[in-house]
Amino acid sequence: MTYQRFILSQSIIFMASSMIFPFYILLLRNVGDSYSQFGWAYGLFALTSALSYPLIGKLSDRIGDQNLLLFYSLAMAVILLLFPIVTEVWQVYILQMTMGVLGAVQKNTEKTTLARKVEKVKAGGTIGRYHFWTSFGAAIAIIVTGYLVDFLTIGAIFYIASLLYVVSGIVLWKNNHSEKVKQISEQKRTADI
Amino acid sequence: MWKVLLFLFIYCGLFGSSFYVYEQTRSQPVVADAGRLLPVAVKSIEKADGEETLKRIVEKANETGDKLTIAGMQHSQGGQTYYPEAVMIDMKSYNKIIKFDPVEKTITVQSGATWDDIQRHINPYGLAVKVMQSQNIFTIGGSLSVNVHGRDIRNDSLIDTIESFRLLTPRGEILNVSRQEHADLFPYIVGGYGLFGVVLDVTLHLTDDELYEKKTITMNYSEYSSYFEKEVKGNPAVKMHLARISVAPETFLREMYVMDYIYADNQNELSKYNDLKEERIVALPKFLLGLSRYSDWGKNLFWDTQKKYMGNDSGTYETRNNVMRSDTNFMAYESSIRTEVLQEYFVPVDDFPDYIDDLRSALEKEEEFNLLNITIRYVEKSDQAVLSYAKEDMFALVLLINQEKSGKGIKRSEAVIQKMIDVTLDHDGSYYLPYYSYPSKEQLTEAYPRIGEFFEKKKEYDPDERFTNFFYEVYK
Repeated sequence: MTYQRFILSQSIIFMASSMIFPFYILLLRNVGDSYSQFGWAYGLFALTSALSYPLIGKLSDRIGDQNLLLFYSLAMAVILLLFPIVTEVWQVYILQMTMGVLGAVQKNTEKTTLARKVEKVKAGGTIGRYHFWTSFGAAIAIIVTGYLVDFLTIGAIFYIASLLYVVSGIVLWKNNHSEKVKQISEQKRTADI
Repeated sequence: MWKVLLFLFIYCGLFGSSFYVYEQTRSQPVVADAGRLLPVAVKSIEKADGEETLKRIVEKANETGDKLTIAGMQHSQGGQTYYPEAVMIDMKSYNKIIKFDPVEKTITVQSGATWDDIQRHINPYGLAVKVMQSQNIFTIGGSLSVNVHGRDIRNDSLIDTIESFRLLTPRGEILNVSRQEHADLFPYIVGGYGLFGVVLDVTLHLTDDELYEKKTITMNYSEYSSYFEKEVKGNPAVKMHLARISVAPETFLREMYVMDYIYADNQNELSKYNDLKEERIVALPKFLLGLSRYSDWGKNLFWDTQKKYMGNDSGTYETRNNVMRSDTNFMAYESSIRTEVLQEYFVPVDDFPDYIDDLRSALEKEEEFNLLNITIRYVEKSDQAVLSYAKEDMFALVLLINQEKSGKGIKRSEAVIQKMIDVTLDHDGSYYLPYYSYPSKEQLTEAYPRIGEFFEKKKEYDPDERFTNFFYEVYK
């Protein structure tokens, strides 16, 4: 149950992030000034990601993957609300750096969760299925978003993506919550015995 | 559980505020003209789909106190068509041809019609426009408001060819304005940058479409004035004329080529040539212009190719209507950090060689200044408009400049442009007003001695300043 929820939340996250990334360039084109600024925006993203991986790795061992993923979802939900209202390139840079850190949280934690949850013998098949579902969600999202941008505005997709992150956050929170309940009842049972 | 509720509560607040800000910025359309240096949020854009709509827009603005601006194709580059927080009236859909009299050779059109609309209508009748720009993409209202001139050398500027027009005043009345009726307003509104009200429809004099033979020769700049006086102005068969002077480093402001349009002997063959030409495939000139933006060798290559191409054109025939619809697409320039702006300087015909020498020495020190083209035309003395630029018979030099859009880029251009205007004024010249507000107030007053009178009349006629624009607000 919990692993399925994990896949569900990850699928929603992938849907939301795939909604933004291909179309995100449209926003940069409105705000940004040149190809070199595109380069900087994505370069800063990758650089902050790189720098934050080691720290995030340690954190996930200490406070748990689920909590980090929950933090990622909720932080993304909030950050995305800023995208439609940015007007200056430096604001895009700051958002990109924040997204770099958050992106690193997601990537690292996704992998550590899989590493901890998946049985090593069946790892190939399980991770394959995991990628199938998450990528499937992403593909649908990209296609649908194309139409959404046509009918709505570029701003609208950021709001929709933000809401999706909230949903994934709620799924993860319920997951954490039910796991804790389970742990407590198991502890109780052990104590009873 | 309370943590979730707290998050949702904060999130909803953030969502609401973000959406509010987003809607606010979206509801205010951002407008920029062809210069792309002044993007600003206007209050709204109102489409002029008829006289009643226009009257309503003016009446409503008088009630709410909103400022109004008038826009056509927005090729004026100094915000002459808009202003922050003002209502911008988009005239493009107000474009019907109201009356056409082939015998009297007059046409009455709504001011949002373009020269192209007129050409398509009158070409089958063997008629042509008397004075317009070299390109036909502009609206009649916009052209009237900047009092254009073009390749024609036998009429002066557009004002010469305007019979009358109707004006929707700042008070919402409609006046007939001509040299007879409300004659005092006529010279203020033509070349008046839309500051006296909305020009509704315009009656223009037309002329016969003719067949011209093109003649191209290259020469040194020092020979141009005397060539022009003798071979162009002095030869009644030459009806139109244009020239270019090199901006390529190897021949900078020395080499020129000129093109004369000479009344052809075989006018009976007009029908062979009078299909209106459409925009051609522009890949090659676009590519060469592109190269010349980035490098000196590109500029040399572009100049040599232009010269050769124009040379090959010598001896071919073109109708008047086709001369007045030259290509524009190849100049389209897309860059988000840079833009291309125009300047136009008028200098007396006799002063030309000395002027070019001074201009050259002023520009030789400006290595960063990216000058892409200078086209030269001739405009006869005209003092009909209050803001008349042709104080005597003058050459008009149109400069195409590639510059950065940033504040730094604007500052850099300003310094060079003010210097060039000083050189122009030293030679009793003047400059054209539809461009970015680079010139200083002092330069404006020197070039246009009647500018004070113009602004006074504006204030007297439109005391609430209902109609405004950047040009007015910067210089008033």
